[in-house]
Order: sequence, then C-alpha cells, then structure tokens
Amino acid sequence: MNTMQNGTPIIRVEHVYKAWGAFTALNDVSISFNEGEVVCIIGPSGSGKSTLLRTINRLERQNAGRIVVDGIELDDDLKHIDAVRTEVGMVFQSFNLFSHMTVLDNITLAPRRVRKWSADKARQVALELLERVGLSAHAQKYPSQLSGGQQQRVAIARALAMQPKIMLFDEPTSALDPEMVNEVLLVMRDLAESGMTMLIVTHEMGFAREVADRVIFFDHGCIVEESSDPQQFFSNPTHPRAQAFLKQIKHAA
Amino acid sequence: MGARRLVEDMIHKLKDRDSLILVGSVMGLGLILWLMALPLATLPAPIGPAAAQFSAGALTTIELTLWASVFGLVLGILAALGKRSHIPPARWVADLYVWVIRGTPLLLQILFFFLAVPAIAPQLQLSEFWTAVIALSLNVGAYNAEVIRAGINAVPTGQVEAARSLGLSLVYTFWDIVLPQAVRISLPPLANNMVALLKDSSLAYAIGVVELSMVSSRVQAESFQPVPVFMTVAAIYLLLTTTFTQFAAALERKLAVGKR
Repeated sequence: MNTMQNGTPIIRVEHVYKAWGAFTALNDVSISFNEGEVVCIIGPSGSGKSTLLRTINRLERQNAGRIVVDGIELDDDLKHIDAVRTEVGMVFQSFNLFSHMTVLDNITLAPRRVRKWSADKARQVALELLERVGLSAHAQKYPSQLSGGQQQRVAIARALAMQPKIMLFDEPTSALDPEMVNEVLLVMRDLAESGMTMLIVTHEMGFAREVADRVIFFDHGCIVEESSDPQQFFSNPTHPRAQAFLKQIKHAA
Repeated sequence: MGARRLVEDMIHKLKDRDSLILVGSVMGLGLILWLMALPLATLPAPIGPAAAQFSAGALTTIELTLWASVFGLVLGILAALGKRSHIPPARWVADLYVWVIRGTPLLLQILFFFLAVPAIAPQLQLSEFWTAVIALSLNVGAYNAEVIRAGINAVPTGQVEAARSLGLSLVYTFWDIVLPQAVRISLPPLANNMVALLKDSSLAYAIGVVELSMVSSRVQAESFQPVPVFMTVAAIYLLLTTTFTQFAAALERKLAVGKR
C-alpha cells in the first residue's frame, strides 16, 4: 500500500526491557521501524503492545535497552525526551482531549507553545487539519460536545498539528461505539496513504490487513511473529499463539 | 482582524447570564462600598451619624480580604506544588507550613506577626493593615494548599500524558493543562475559603485595624446601643459574603463549560 518506504530505520529499539514488579511488559524487545512504514501491532491484552508504543515517546521509561528515534537517543535527558516528543505524535485510546479547551485551542496549543508559531499560523493550520478530518464546523465546540469518533478525529488533528514525522496510535478505536469506528479508520487510512510513518496498536484486523506494510504479533512481552505480508499473516500465521489468537478473533466476529 | 474577532468573541461570551452575574457582582461590590454611606446616613442614631465609619470599615474589610485572597491563592498553589514535589526539602517545608498554620488559632497567628515578629526582627515591623494581610494570607494559603493539591490530584493522568506527548514542557503542561483544570475542580472549596477569610478578617480588629468589626465595637462603645449596631454590621457582612458567593457560583458555572 505504501510507496515511501526507503529502508532507513527512523526508530530503533534495541534489547528493551520493561517490568512493573513481577510483571514483565517488554522482555528484551528489539525491532526497528522504517520511514514511511505503516506497522500494525497486534496481540492479546497485556502482551506489551501499548507499552512498546509508550516507551517510544517516553511515557514509560524502559528498565534496560536503547531506543533511538530519528537520530535522538531516548536517555534521561529531558531535552532529548522533549525533542523526540515534538517529532512523534500520539493518539490515545481515551482521546485525552483537553477538556477545558475548545477544539481549536486543543489543536493550536502545542504548535504555539513548542513550535512558537504565531496564533494566526497555528489557527490556519488547525482549520486545515479540521477540514481534513471532516470537523470544520466544530472548531469552537468543547470536547464534551462531540461524539467519541469526533473526539478521536480531533485528537488525530491535534497530534498532526505538530507536523510529526511519526504517529503512534494506541488502540485508537477501542473506546468507540461500533458505528464510529469507521470514521476514525478512514482518517487513519488517509494518513497512511499520505506516507506518514505509523505505528498502530489495534484490534481492527480488517484494517490492519488492508493498511499495514508490516504486522507484528506480541505475546508475553515478546514479538513472536513478524510479517511484511499482512495478507499471508492473517490467512496463515506460523506461530501457534498467533494462530490461536486470530482464530479466537474470527470466532468473535 | 484578530482584534475584531476577539472583541466579538468577548461580546458573545458576555451575553450569557453567568457572565452578567460575574460582572454584576464585581460592580455590585463596588457600588455597595461606594454608596453604602448614603442609605446608612438616613438611619437614626447611632447608625446614621456613623455611616461614614461603617462604610470605611467595610472598605478595609474588603481590602484585607482581596489582598489576602490573591496572596493566599499564590501561596496555596506554591504549597500544593511543594507537597507534590519530588524534592524532599520542598515537601518538608510545605508540610511544616500547612501543619503549623492549620494547627494553631488565626488570632494567635495575627498577634504573632504583630508582636512577636518585630520583637525578633525589628526591621520587619509593618503597619497594622499589612501585618493583618500577611497573617491572613499565610492562613488562607495553608487551607488553599490542601484544596488545590486535591484538585491537582483529580486531573486525569491522560491529560498530562497528552500534553507531554505533544512536546509541551513540564511548566507549560502545568500552566496550560493541569492548573486550569485543578482550579476548576477546586473552585467551590476555594470560594468557601474566601468567604471564611472575609469573616476571619474581623480578627484583624485585635491588632487595631479599623475594619468593620472594629467600627462596630467603637460605635457601640460610644452609643451603648449594641442591638442596632451589631445588627447593622451583621447585615453588611451578609451583603458582602452574599456578593462573594454569587460571584463564585457564577464563576463555577462558567468554568464548568466543557466539563466532562
């Protein structure tokens, strides 16, 4: 689906380990992601998918291992962390829109504060993005006045306003009513086609199959299967855990 | 273009009822303080002849309250941050401050700042009014600290994560995201503290600040008519506290816009 792939790793994850007490979320995970690549990360709950995403912009600190994003090493230097975060947009399962701000203010805040754009420029970019996600009419509303699907689309626009090189999606449709899933997936598909580097933790297998350049299957903190042929992976996974997982999902659907 | 939109926006925002109450209560407070002497002067003795004193006393009460509210809010935010700090000494200072202030009587604190502090350091001698402002600020600040800390704790972590993931610094995250939401959550108890402060400012009377209670005491002592004097002062206090609570309630409803 994607043509921008040029083989340069923009994210390198090397031997990353993360645990909370006795629970190991990431167990010696090593993987790299290329510029322009759309990667879907799937697997059962608690397998470490979201934790991997959250270590990539340091919402979680890894206990061991190295993470390098766009040439910047994520160590304990706050400058490095903030630099990575400006280049990496994140979309959360629960949207996390700033509830005391209008849609427009949600989107313009970070570009004005971090990128130091003028109010007019930030506003212009925000309105363009709102048009792109189909919400031009809602710029002056508050998040609580929007549906879940609309809120998530605003959240995507908010992340895009920083003009990130990479977008992380942490189960972006899991908290949505079924009839609102599609409107969000449409925006994401559009984004994938534009050549954005995207890491998507999702349970939407149909979407993953269609959009992903690569699929990663997580289990118990490890990547147990990785495939750059999603069609092949979904119809015929090799690892038994992946087989069982996909089978169960098919039954549910 | 930007300025015009801003003005239109403001006019639009002012049209709702709560904004009218907000503006109205501030103007009302000004009018009360400015014109109070006129109706009071028409009353028979002992109130009428002392109308100007009552009016001046009420003004002093409000001045004490507003100064101490502003300083107390700043102190409350600082102490709340101190209590949440990762730096142990900052936590110790904040905890000690709140513990001492909340565990001792306000009257004692006022007397301490008036009598004991100058005895330790004579160069810190201030006027009665500013001594009272400092003591009241420190007092209300300690109560505000707990309220604001609870408000900060009540802001969902997802809000902070979203802000941090956008690259906003810790300072901007606090200033733009956490503080406004924490204040919104804390507003009812903060308003409560302000109204309590307005009434507690009467204790400044003990160090000779000529505020409303001091005036009532003086007028009563000259006239030996406690009933009309104290009734009048109680009515003035009620008028002031009611204006404050109306303001706070309207502000609360106004800030509730967009609340989940």
